[in-house]
Amino acid sequence: MEEYHRHCEEVGFSADEAHNIVKECIDGVLGGEDYNQNNINQWTASIVEQSLTHLVKLGKAYKYIVTCAVVQRSAYGFHTASSCFWDTTSDGTCTVRWENRTMNCIVNVFAIAIVL
Amino acid sequence: MEKRGRGGKPSSSTASQPPPPRRERRPSMFEREAYTQILKERLRDSIHDVQYVEPPFDDSIADLGKEWKSALAKLKFANSYRMEPLKKFQAHSVETKAQQILKESLKDVKYDDKVFSHLSLELADRILSAVKEFGYHRYKFIIKVLFIQKTGQAINIASRWIWDVAWDSWVAVKQETETYVALALVFALYCE
Repeated sequence: MEEYHRHCEEVGFSADEAHNIVKECIDGVLGGEDYNQNNINQWTASIVEQSLTHLVKLGKAYKYIVTCAVVQRSAYGFHTASSCFWDTTSDGTCTVRWENRTMNCIVNVFAIAIVL
Repeated sequence: MEKRGRGGKPSSSTASQPPPPRRERRPSMFEREAYTQILKERLRDSIHDVQYVEPPFDDSIADLGKEWKSALAKLKFANSYRMEPLKKFQAHSVETKAQQILKESLKDVKYDDKVFSHLSLELADRILSAVKEFGYHRYKFIIKVLFIQKTGQAINIASRWIWDVAWDSWVAVKQETETYVALALVFALYCE
């Protein structure tokens, strides 16, 4: 019987790579754009889907959850909290907050390891 | 013979005409430096930062975990031959429980900056312990709680995931009041 060998030997979630990927995706979709009611659905969906496809291309044995909230910029209050029950050595999260003149965007990535 | 002729022509043409006024040619997307330049232009008004990153990059904690993990890998566990969870995640019961928790804790609570920042954490922990009580073994949970103040602005929230569709699931509950909207998301993932 042969043992399964992983693609990459790293243990643990690499938050640096994840935040680079997410930042590039947001820049590509929302960079230079103003808040537009017609396009906002499409933008949030494409940010999330692109981040997910790039994260999967890293080739690690992880399950991913990506959440994105885009809000029109004005005077408002916004609180968000998350609580997780997982294996702290292998699982991780990364939050990227991005803003421009007309909107605020918060993207959250959760990565949960698959034990092979 | 031909080469000499060609060499002769260009020099004469440039000498006769005055050089045309220099127009700034927009660099093409295929040049690498140009790409970063264009990106910088587009993003002139935007800023970003990374809020929170886990696992903690403190050396001591990280090393401890990894040592234990590698030791565990050498120790082979016997196969349990279990292909599926003992008790599959039931979304509807968790949804009613989470809705009840939200309703109870947010009864007559007005929007207030300071209160809400730790109320959100407290609610997340409370929902997490309630979900754990259900007794879904070998499941990992992620709870997200969002409070949005109602001031006439628009908000759009989207989530996507990659997981095992057979056993993993999610629940969303919403509680709306006059001044704010509270949203709680519960994700349950089976750890094989």
